[in-house]
Amino acid sequence: MEVGQMQRTWVEYTKSLFREGFLDGQFTQLQLLQDESNPDFVVEVVSLFFEDSERLLNDLTRALDQQIVDFKRVDAHVHQLKGSSSSIGAQRVKNACIAFRNFCEEQNSEACLKCLQQVRQEYCLVKNKLETLIRLEQQIVAAGGSIPIEELSFQGYKVKL
Amino acid sequence: MEEEEEQQKHEQASACDSNGTPIHVLAVDDCFVDRKIVGKLLEKASFKVTSADSGKKALEILGFSQDKVEKSSYNDQKIDIILTDYCMPEMNGYDLLMAVKGNSNVKSIPVVIISSEYDPQRISRCLANGAEDFLRKPLQHKDLQKLRSYVKPSAPVPKTGTKRKVMLELIPESGTAETRPRIAGVAVA
Repeated sequence: MEVGQMQRTWVEYTKSLFREGFLDGQFTQLQLLQDESNPDFVVEVVSLFFEDSERLLNDLTRALDQQIVDFKRVDAHVHQLKGSSSSIGAQRVKNACIAFRNFCEEQNSEACLKCLQQVRQEYCLVKNKLETLIRLEQQIVAAGGSIPIEELSFQGYKVKL
Repeated sequence: MEEEEEQQKHEQASACDSNGTPIHVLAVDDCFVDRKIVGKLLEKASFKVTSADSGKKALEILGFSQDKVEKSSYNDQKIDIILTDYCMPEMNGYDLLMAVKGNSNVKSIPVVIISSEYDPQRISRCLANGAEDFLRKPLQHKDLQKLRSYVKPSAPVPKTGTKRKVMLELIPESGTAETRPRIAGVAVA
């Protein structure tokens, strides 16, 4: 596939991720922070997010599996996951965490378990999407092209120079 | 060419003190993802960054020593401003603020708190106890300009109308006043 076609695919795919709410403007901020001095910045941050999230999801599973659930601990884990997902622009994960925290406050075990399932699902979805996006970016760069961030216009927002 | 050089000087000065030295930020956050993002945001805006993953580590960097027998040398790393997350285990941002403001050797260092949560009581408690500001996460480029102002409040502000780098912004097409995501980016005006 030639570079121009790959770039067009990247633009459309990225737009779809924003349209479907997987990502928000914070992700674009990360992309704009990437430069020649740190060309793998987005990959590094996203990888950290994956590691962090998987650890937290495991911690949450263990915490909710206890005979007596420590909802304060559960809430602390969800708060962390909400924070990191917000920081990278993983909007649907963030929103799922917000709902989760409400049930932590109510100390509702059953609802919390359902929320954990939901958060895990959203996480798996966005992980899959981000891995695809990063692969596309790497293919563009390997073919000598650049990522056309300035061509993004999405979700009621336009890129203003 | 002359205008470009002047513009570059302006930009370098944007995160520098009156001697042209980059403003040194101590960025404190227990979240690795946030430390990386904030660190990059600050570095890209020409701040010098030292990161700490806890309030305890931040105090060590500032020169607080557990060994009270020997006198520590406070702030030998010459931190100009502390930017700390509020929610951290063991020692949160408020605790760090109080430790800094309670020590005559470092209390003059401005402290800015950041948090993903909007809690008016938390905010007013921090501001009442010496925090310069309380900013919402995720940090945006406009917040960095505030940091500069807390370090050198009398620093000249770029005049409007002169050539300067502008922010690459995401703006709602509807032009609504709702909070909108902002992105850091540069373009020559």
